[in-house]
Amino acid sequence: MKIITTLFATAAMLSMASAQTLSIKGSDTLGAKLVPQLAEGFKAAGNGGVKFEIAAEGSTTAFPALANGTAQIGMSSRKVKDDERTFCRTKGIYLKEHPICHDMIVVIVNKNSPLAKLTKDQIAKVFTGQIKDWSEIGGTPGPISIYTRNTSSGTYKDWQKLAMGGRDYPSSSLKMAGNEQIAQEVAKNKNGIGYVGLAYSKTAGTKAITVDGVEPVAANAKKYAYARECYLYAPEKPSAEAEAFMKYVESDAGQNIVRKVGFIPVKDL
Amino acid sequence: MFDPKKLIRKGLPKGHFKDAAVRSLLAGVTYLVVIIAALLFGKIIVDGAPVLFKAEAPFVDFEFLTAKNETLHVFDDALGNRHQLPAAAYSAYLDKHPGEGIFNEQTFSYSGGGIAGPIVGTALLTIGSMILALFFGICAAIYLSEYAKQSPFIHAVRLAILNLAGIPSIVFGLFGFSVFVLAVPIITSTPADRSLLTFPLFFGNYFVSFQGWNSSLMAGCATLACMILPVIITASEESLRAVPQGFRDASLAMGATRWQTIRKCVLPFSLPGILTSSLLAITRVAGETAPIMFTAAVAAKDDLPWQGLKSPFDLLSSQVQALPYHIYTLAARIPSSEYTQRAQYGSVFVFLVLVAFLSAGSMILRSKLRAKLKW
Amino acid sequence: MSQEEISLSPSHHRFQKRGFSCEKAIKYFFASNAGLTIVILVLITIFLLKEGLGFFPGYQRELEVYRIAGLEFVDISRKNLTAQEQLTSVLNRAYYAEINGQAAREMKRSKEASALFNAYSEQTGPTRDLVVNNSQAASDPKSEMLAILKTNFEKQKVKALASLPATPHLEKNERADLIESIRTRAVDSTEDPPLVAALAAELAAAQEKYAVPLQGMRATIDSFSSAGSELSSLVSEMTESVTATKEKIQGADILEKDRKTLLAAAASAKDLAEREKLTSEATASLAEKPDVEGPIQRLMERRADCVKAHQALQKTTGGILAQLPENLRQPDARRLLKVARATWPLFIADLEKTPAAIHAWKYDAPVPLTAAISSFLTGKDWVTGGEWQDFYGILPLAAGSLMIALVALIIAIPSGIGAAVYVNQFASPREQGIIKPVIEFIQAIPSVVLGFIGILVFGTLLRDISTWDSLQWIPGFPIEERLNIFTAGCLLALMSIPTIFSLSEDAINNVPSAYAEASEALGASRFQTTFRVVVPAAFSGVLAAVLLGLGRVIGETMVVLLVAGNRIKIPDFSSGLSTFFQPCHTLTGIIAQELGEVPLGSVHYRALFVVGILLFAIVLAINATAHHFVNKMKH
Repeated sequence: MKIITTLFATAAMLSMASAQTLSIKGSDTLGAKLVPQLAEGFKAAGNGGVKFEIAAEGSTTAFPALANGTAQIGMSSRKVKDDERTFCRTKGIYLKEHPICHDMIVVIVNKNSPLAKLTKDQIAKVFTGQIKDWSEIGGTPGPISIYTRNTSSGTYKDWQKLAMGGRDYPSSSLKMAGNEQIAQEVAKNKNGIGYVGLAYSKTAGTKAITVDGVEPVAANAKKYAYARECYLYAPEKPSAEAEAFMKYVESDAGQNIVRKVGFIPVKDL
Repeated sequence: MFDPKKLIRKGLPKGHFKDAAVRSLLAGVTYLVVIIAALLFGKIIVDGAPVLFKAEAPFVDFEFLTAKNETLHVFDDALGNRHQLPAAAYSAYLDKHPGEGIFNEQTFSYSGGGIAGPIVGTALLTIGSMILALFFGICAAIYLSEYAKQSPFIHAVRLAILNLAGIPSIVFGLFGFSVFVLAVPIITSTPADRSLLTFPLFFGNYFVSFQGWNSSLMAGCATLACMILPVIITASEESLRAVPQGFRDASLAMGATRWQTIRKCVLPFSLPGILTSSLLAITRVAGETAPIMFTAAVAAKDDLPWQGLKSPFDLLSSQVQALPYHIYTLAARIPSSEYTQRAQYGSVFVFLVLVAFLSAGSMILRSKLRAKLKW
Repeated sequence: MSQEEISLSPSHHRFQKRGFSCEKAIKYFFASNAGLTIVILVLITIFLLKEGLGFFPGYQRELEVYRIAGLEFVDISRKNLTAQEQLTSVLNRAYYAEINGQAAREMKRSKEASALFNAYSEQTGPTRDLVVNNSQAASDPKSEMLAILKTNFEKQKVKALASLPATPHLEKNERADLIESIRTRAVDSTEDPPLVAALAAELAAAQEKYAVPLQGMRATIDSFSSAGSELSSLVSEMTESVTATKEKIQGADILEKDRKTLLAAAASAKDLAEREKLTSEATASLAEKPDVEGPIQRLMERRADCVKAHQALQKTTGGILAQLPENLRQPDARRLLKVARATWPLFIADLEKTPAAIHAWKYDAPVPLTAAISSFLTGKDWVTGGEWQDFYGILPLAAGSLMIALVALIIAIPSGIGAAVYVNQFASPREQGIIKPVIEFIQAIPSVVLGFIGILVFGTLLRDISTWDSLQWIPGFPIEERLNIFTAGCLLALMSIPTIFSLSEDAINNVPSAYAEASEALGASRFQTTFRVVVPAAFSGVLAAVLLGLGRVIGETMVVLLVAGNRIKIPDFSSGLSTFFQPCHTLTGIIAQELGEVPLGSVHYRALFVVGILLFAIVLAINATAHHFVNKMKH
């Protein structure tokens, strides 16, 4: 009997001990490029022992993962919603918000499109499906193909609020898994239009659209219509690794990586 | 009144041209399929082989197989030379050349380094699930072929096997997610709220809590094992039945028990057959993506599964990268450009070579077995 | 073991005695393993149902909120507004098609010139950036370095200029001038080359010129477009108020749930202080019952306004059709105008019906559970994660799955069965030795690899082929999206060919040789034997093969997730065969795409399980039919 007890006890001990990997989940905007590079920078800065797991499936995935304890840090390209915060609270996790960068949602079209400027109104009409053909806004005639993110994305929801006045996407829109994928499809489709995070707006074959006369470059972040802040969320009492990582992200070295990847450091605004 | 000569056909038979046309149409269709398959393999080999092989000895670029997966940095130095470096080498480069500017920098996630993580992860998933599936599958097959008589139970088992074999892999994904990730029991001192049922153990502060294993190697192996179980059972039963009845009769006549007969006279002769057909099952397990998407796989993980573990149990309860999921990520999440081709086609090539080896091995072994074991 | 039994067996027979109890145990052990398959199947069913069945009550509540909060009311008006916007778009397109059709030559010239320039800048971009970045003062330019960079740039430039796209609509000297202007262009110039700019201006002038005779049409369209503004502002006003109500109701629902979870957490908390904290939080989050009556009554008061706006719209709209030009010159424009004329009566009829619908609408009409079920099974929208209202309608997904399966089977049935007949009946043993392993190996290719090929190679290839001039007679060419039903169908066909091939081949092989021998003895030719005797005899086996192939196609996930294009919309069947070149989404794809991202236990999460149940049922039914045919064959 004693042996069995010990066995069970060991098994139980074992099942608890897995805390030193740093699991980060959430937004694709942050998680596809920026956070992996921050992690690599963090390790290069003398924290080689920390083990990262990064899953970037969309901002909505961050909070359930934080609540369940399957992630120590959540990435989000939008602010946490009240019900998500309460949900975490009920699991004993108080969320702390760390703004890490500013982002601009950039409208991109195919490189060969003659359009370089659009108004906010035109963009809203294109993305809600009221304008269906490029000729209606002065482009080369052809049916507009709209590429959007999938529904779990923070960008998807931010865009609906910022640019579409809360109206639904038309069913003709194509839902893509990530920013890179949108950029790639737009680069390959001469009738394509889509939106991506600032870091992805320089993809070859695409062209960033000037909105209401404001060019989507980092310097214009204040004037630009579709700017937003991106966050990392961590529990109020984070693990030592998570805390060290958050410190690194907010440090100058971390913010330099933010700038290099193509986002706008927090302090620049 | 009846000329027998008319009955003998002369020259080409009637409808010969029609027949020839139909025949060549069928041949055309068949070879079209073969050619399309050849083109497909050709494309992958042409683009993927250069990643793995090189001109000078030892001809194989082991780095791609053994290096970790990293972000790829592409940039020009001040002299206009283009560099492609994975993250670690990139930061080394920056340290070595301080103050020199770099230009036109582009980064490509998941495209630098090698694919050691996914390969190891797939190997672990395959081994784990095959151990489970072979154990339960062979046992079930023994029952079906050695013990079972016609009964409602057997009928139900056969029906279940038939139905399990047809279930789409994504439904296995849903099943694995709702059962192994969220519902199976675990011993813990802090049961989660979503636990279906919790009861305390008789010692310490521990509970048995039905809260699942989270997304982990264990959960993935169990899901895959369930998926492959019907295949293993069917194949094993076939091999067991191929052992001549005389072997059993002789053994039983010598006074051996049924179990002894099975152990000494049936299993040894059918084992090669079982293992051969399970090689084919391995190709299926290794290639499935949908069941592990939610139960085991993670897109980026920078250590190999066994590094930095506190206990062996950690290995089982941690997520792993897997080759098919990695290919999904490479296909869906990163752009295709000249810099990402290496990672993309290289991974697919390695994967295909793996699958080709397994299935060719299975085919060859099977034909050898057939030639050897003739009773 | 009873006393009697022991006495029956000879006591010295050690072997048998030990064997007795042990044997039984071993047998039961194996039996329990066999039973495991049943357990797994039952577990799959139970857990799918457990998660899935909760969907319908949850969805019912969501639909109830949709009604109580008044969103449904707003949607009545919004539907007409959307229809009006769509019609405006059609008219606009007709208008621009007329202009652009006339200015086609200028447009082509301008397009070609800028395409040429774009191709050049695409190729030289990186080296150019290097020169520009390095020549800026901040980067401390070194002259010898700059010289190297500049030679690099010149080299790249020469290379790029040697491989420019063709410009069939530009004069020879124009092209030469353009290339010359590109060649002599300053490195850091950001202006377009003169010809590109000139052609763009030419195009604009031409468009302006051709617009002059269409001024009447423009004014008509504008007046039609602005006719909706009253309704539009009313709708957006109401939208705001109903969204607020909905949020309140949902907030109260969530708070109520939170309170319960907090209380539950408090009950199980060990730490006394923690427990008190949680309890106090729970009491604090007690929601006051949201006021539903007030806002809805205010909304109902707007009914008259709504009706008035509709009537105004109807009045303006009625006259529009007569004011439009009788006919337009360009074929595209004519077609669009015809579309507009055809849909016009429907639009008017809808407008006429609306006031009655507005008055008949009741906010307190109950939403029965059957409404949730039928809305799921027959719903045309799958809208999730939106701001307005989530709908879970299965039709677009089922339609996508079916269309893809159709394409796959149309390709796979002839080639799979044809190959099987050929290999079994006509091929030499050597041919068999080549064909069979290759097709078997196709079966071993993991689906994700096929998806990878589809997204990286096949889709692009298909689109390039579709732009060939010699293929323009095919409906739907040139295709708009490289990821579409046809692309996915082709790849799935490749996946199902091995299944169909090997099972059909087995079936043909299993036809007793006596059939063939008898047929040949009667003087039938080889072909008559094959097609009149052997294949018909194997028919049910071949049918089973096709059905199993169908099961595989419907259940396949990775290929459709990567290649089908992920547009959640019922394909537009009115476009004939080109429907097959539209993107779609599938039952399997939606689970794979959305399961990872939904909060556990939410309605959306459960909806995905219901999709899983449906998929499970469909595939089981297909397989059961297939096995029915297999059994028929055996007897």
